[in-house]
Amino acid sequence: MALTIAAVVVITQIPTRLGLDLRGGSQLTIQVQPTAAIPTISERDMEVVQSVVEGRVNGLGVSEAVVQQLGNNQLLVQLPGVSDPEQAERVLGGTAQLEFRAQRAGTDQQLAIENQVLQGHLGELAALQSNLPEGTTVEAETQARIERLQSDIQASEAAIANLFEPSNLGGDQLTDAIAGTDSAGRWVVSIRFNNEGGNRFAELTRAIAGTGRAIGIFLDNRLLSAPQVNVQYAETGITGGGAEISGSFTAESANELAIQLRGGALPLPVEVVENRTVGPTLGRDSIQRSLYAGLAGLALVLVFMAVYYRLPGVLADIALIIYALLTWAAFNLLGVTLTLPGIAGFILSIGMAVDANVLIFERTREELRSNKTLYRSVESGFFRAFSSILDGNVTTLISCLALFYFGAGLVKGFALTLGIGVLISMFTALTCTRTLMFLAISLPQFRRPNLFCPGLNTARPNPVRP
Amino acid sequence: MKLNIIQQRGLWWAISGALVLASLVAMAISWQQFGAPLRPGLDFAGGTRLQLTRACVTTDSCSEALDLSEVRQVLGQQGLDSSSLQVLGDDQQVLSVRTRTLDVDERTALQSALDEAIGPFDASSTQIDSVGPVIGKQLLVSGLLALLVSFAGIVIYLSLRFKLDYALLAILALAHDVTVTAGVFAVLGLVLGVEVDSLFIVSLLTIVGFSVNDTVVIYDRVRENLKLNPGTHINDIVDSAVNQTLSRSINTSLTTILPLVAIFIFGGQTLKYFALALIVGFLAGSYSSIFVASSLLALWRERTGQAYGDPDEAAPQPETQS
Repeated sequence: MALTIAAVVVITQIPTRLGLDLRGGSQLTIQVQPTAAIPTISERDMEVVQSVVEGRVNGLGVSEAVVQQLGNNQLLVQLPGVSDPEQAERVLGGTAQLEFRAQRAGTDQQLAIENQVLQGHLGELAALQSNLPEGTTVEAETQARIERLQSDIQASEAAIANLFEPSNLGGDQLTDAIAGTDSAGRWVVSIRFNNEGGNRFAELTRAIAGTGRAIGIFLDNRLLSAPQVNVQYAETGITGGGAEISGSFTAESANELAIQLRGGALPLPVEVVENRTVGPTLGRDSIQRSLYAGLAGLALVLVFMAVYYRLPGVLADIALIIYALLTWAAFNLLGVTLTLPGIAGFILSIGMAVDANVLIFERTREELRSNKTLYRSVESGFFRAFSSILDGNVTTLISCLALFYFGAGLVKGFALTLGIGVLISMFTALTCTRTLMFLAISLPQFRRPNLFCPGLNTARPNPVRP
Repeated sequence: MKLNIIQQRGLWWAISGALVLASLVAMAISWQQFGAPLRPGLDFAGGTRLQLTRACVTTDSCSEALDLSEVRQVLGQQGLDSSSLQVLGDDQQVLSVRTRTLDVDERTALQSALDEAIGPFDASSTQIDSVGPVIGKQLLVSGLLALLVSFAGIVIYLSLRFKLDYALLAILALAHDVTVTAGVFAVLGLVLGVEVDSLFIVSLLTIVGFSVNDTVVIYDRVRENLKLNPGTHINDIVDSAVNQTLSRSINTSLTTILPLVAIFIFGGQTLKYFALALIVGFLAGSYSSIFVASSLLALWRERTGQAYGDPDEAAPQPETQS
């Protein structure tokens, strides 16, 4: 009972997480293509590409976007509620473009202002998105505001990019970028160029050293960092093919910048190989339909049990409702993302949850027919049906495990909900129904074998047991 | 009701055999037509599917159903003549176009051309599925792998819990269920153009996991009866075991199929055929458990000289449980 109440509390307090196929959004699979220069893609390459893709995803300004590594050369990108899947697909594909650009003369103030505007937009967007109720569809008004902010951010970024001169020093000339500490223990990012890049970098830094202008480091046309060059390099520029970027870095921000720089240096093209987009209206329809299907299925099973098995059937129905609540609560607690196949798995598990009860009640009836007392019959019904119940559920779990391990995306959701359902159904069948049954036979008005097995004494003659 | 499983086993086997044979023939025919035993869906074959819904609130263009010839014209202009088209929805306002895999520019071009010709479409009801050939192959391989692994897992588990011959016969019954389900979908693919996707493999796996339950219940009872009545012939043991467990075999399948029927009716496009596959598989599973797996066990035990329980304790006992 306490568990049931806890379950209801959980369901009302923790929202159910809905998959993209239910709330609307895009799921993209991105494949990293090997090139002639890099025929095999290493773990470190993937980390770098992931950071590039994450940067692009952040640029889209989608709340709760997820980027995950998939296998050894793919990335899974989930963009809930994205309004323009075409734009997303265009932005995410393609090779990273890293460029070192010199700031145009006399744009210091403008840069500061534009940066402030951009930070303002970003802050507002973050605040807006952190207040969004998780897992539900966004109101049209908020959605419109988010979209306006996103286009403002893009405009700001373009404006900032305009304050820098295009250059010929790009990611292909950068050989490495590493985060570390300098002699004073401050976090810095060391970068290293090849010969040609080193020369160009020297030229670039000589031009702006001591002027207060900055080098803009752009990844995919977005400004990552704008370090200034100290006046001591005004004669020669920074020579030797390497440099240190210092500033108010933390370990984390230094590492992030280093990875982003490496990403820009890595000429690995990425390609969108799978796109699954569901409009939010369609998702809402699916939820509604599945809800009807679930309720109708549950109702059919409840009626069948009550009609066929009488009193135990009604008790099993109560256990079944408790089961459904517990399972739902478990999904919310474990943070299971509910997809359309996942809902099917849940509905299916309702049907399977009854199976254990059927096995127990049939066994109980059989024991009653062989003239055992009610109490003994119920007791051995539970005891003797157990091995069949266990076997049946373990085989289903084996299939779920195989599905979960090998399956992708939607398939995983189904395996997970069905598996959790089966585990919980074992528990409710063996504890809930059991408690209710013994509670019932402890009450005199329920202690009539007829309630458990209709037509017990007339249906068929029982062989006399020795 | 009392079923004579053993007596009429020729009949039961003939039914199963005919079903399996028909399934194999259907799959062979579709192999000739599509190069695969079942009509492969987007997930496996790769391609792009656009599902567009006409926005009916803002215009009054919805009074008529979508005109497919117009759509074909647009597709022809885009060089996508070989695409397949479908009109869906209660008022025939939903268009589903399936083409070869399009990249984002081609797709946008097609979408805006369609929008111009027969739109406007409701952007929030659009569904896009685009699967590259690499992913398609990946999905197929992982699906088949999952199927094999769960088969193996179930054999191992059952042979730990039962003897090996029980386990192998249970797997044989499972193979029967999977084949019949696949056969039904091969026929559906040939007749109605139903395609199989990843969810179909999921349903096969679920059938594998679930169908074995009925078989286990019966075998459990056979084992129990063998212990109680070591002197009774295996044929009688199996017969009474099946009859004792008949109502629970039927009821467990029924309680599982009822919610599936609900999904089939209310569940919408994606889940409809998923539910249907499960229903077919579970029905085949019940049949094979009750009629085939049981009688095969009796036959096997008889042929290998194990017609009676443990021969050491084979004392004649006149009475069997009923």
